Amino acid sequence: MGIADTRRELAANRMIFEVRRDPALYSGFAENFETIMENYGLSEEERQAFRDIDIKRLGELGVHPYFLPQVSRLFHGGAYNHNNSPSAQAYGRSVVDGKGKTR
Amino acid sequence: MAELVFVTGLSHAPGMTGWLDRAPEHEQKSLTDGFNALGEKLRAAKPDLIIGLANDHVLNMPVDDPHDFCIGTAANWKGPAEWFRDWVNVDPYQLAGNSSVATALFDGLSAQGYDTIAKDELLFDDNWSVPLKYLTPDYDIPLVPIHMNCIVPPIPSPRTCYEFGQAVQKIVENDLPAGLRIAFMGTGGLSHDPGGPKYFDVDEEFDRWFLALLEEGDPEKVLRECTQEKMSAAGDGGTSELIAWIGAMGMVGARPSITICYEPAVELRCGMGCVYWEMEKEPANV
Repeated sequence: MGIADTRRELAANRMIFEVRRDPALYSGFAENFETIMENYGLSEEERQAFRDIDIKRLGELGVHPYFLPQVSRLFHGGAYNHNNSPSAQAYGRSVVDGKGKTR
Repeated sequence: MAELVFVTGLSHAPGMTGWLDRAPEHEQKSLTDGFNALGEKLRAAKPDLIIGLANDHVLNMPVDDPHDFCIGTAANWKGPAEWFRDWVNVDPYQLAGNSSVATALFDGLSAQGYDTIAKDELLFDDNWSVPLKYLTPDYDIPLVPIHMNCIVPPIPSPRTCYEFGQAVQKIVENDLPAGLRIAFMGTGGLSHDPGGPKYFDVDEEFDRWFLALLEEGDPEKVLRECTQEKMSAAGDGGTSELIAWIGAMGMVGARPSITICYEPAVELRCGMGCVYWEMEKEPANV
């Protein structure tokens, strides 16, 4: 998987693009993402990957790689994002270790 | 005829401002001293304005509608964009832009066929927030930001970026007001892989090879050897940001770069470094 495997038209890509730009969307994302996913028309596969915080799966579905650590930060926070931080660790378990689901 | 007084290439990974204390002490010192020294050199050149070239990070140009380049035309800028504020750990800042210079760049580059758009609203993340913190800590030098797409294929080739730099240099020389002193920074890299399997890795061998290649001051050799494939192999998700440095090389021609610092900063998840080019001397004929 890499940047060349991005699916440009994927609803999740449009959603993540907008979420990071809009305080009304990123504030409370971890609690509200079902509604946001509905509004952006994500497929059931995309939605399940978000419910599982399965970052690896999101990559396989065509989410742009640059968005993947950001998805982890939407759920786990972005402050002090060192290698042992919750968001970096969740990304690592899912993608680098290949475990997929982190919830 | 404006004057190009300073050109630099530097990394902008968010760990530099966000969690540098997690890096080994010798890396903290080397990078802090190096970036501060670069800032002193830039400010000593007394630029009236910085033209910057950096990854948009898919923050202003969406995945389904990217353009190679996006020139920021606003009279004023602010950052970091709110969602990125705690991540980069940079206090909110404001600085001036320069609408007339930005418009001259947009007109000139569009006329030459570059895939360029202009926006008067841009969100800034680590791309500018990290370099500005070190280069202009008082935010007192105006910035004309040029965001580029270097991570949603197809991305501009190293040669396109080099020629883009040459085109910017010609606009500076021919179309911008006499007496205006211009600095240029290309920012991104070095090896890193955000969103890929090498997320926690740095390719030190590639990084040192790239820095040594730039020090040779031979643009054609850089374009021949530093291919998209080679950058991708060193970290598919982000290493191609180095085309911003190749754009800077287009500004200076056949001049050797001078490396100020480099560290394979694993804790920052990025090869970190900075270089500059001396503008006092004429370029060599390579």
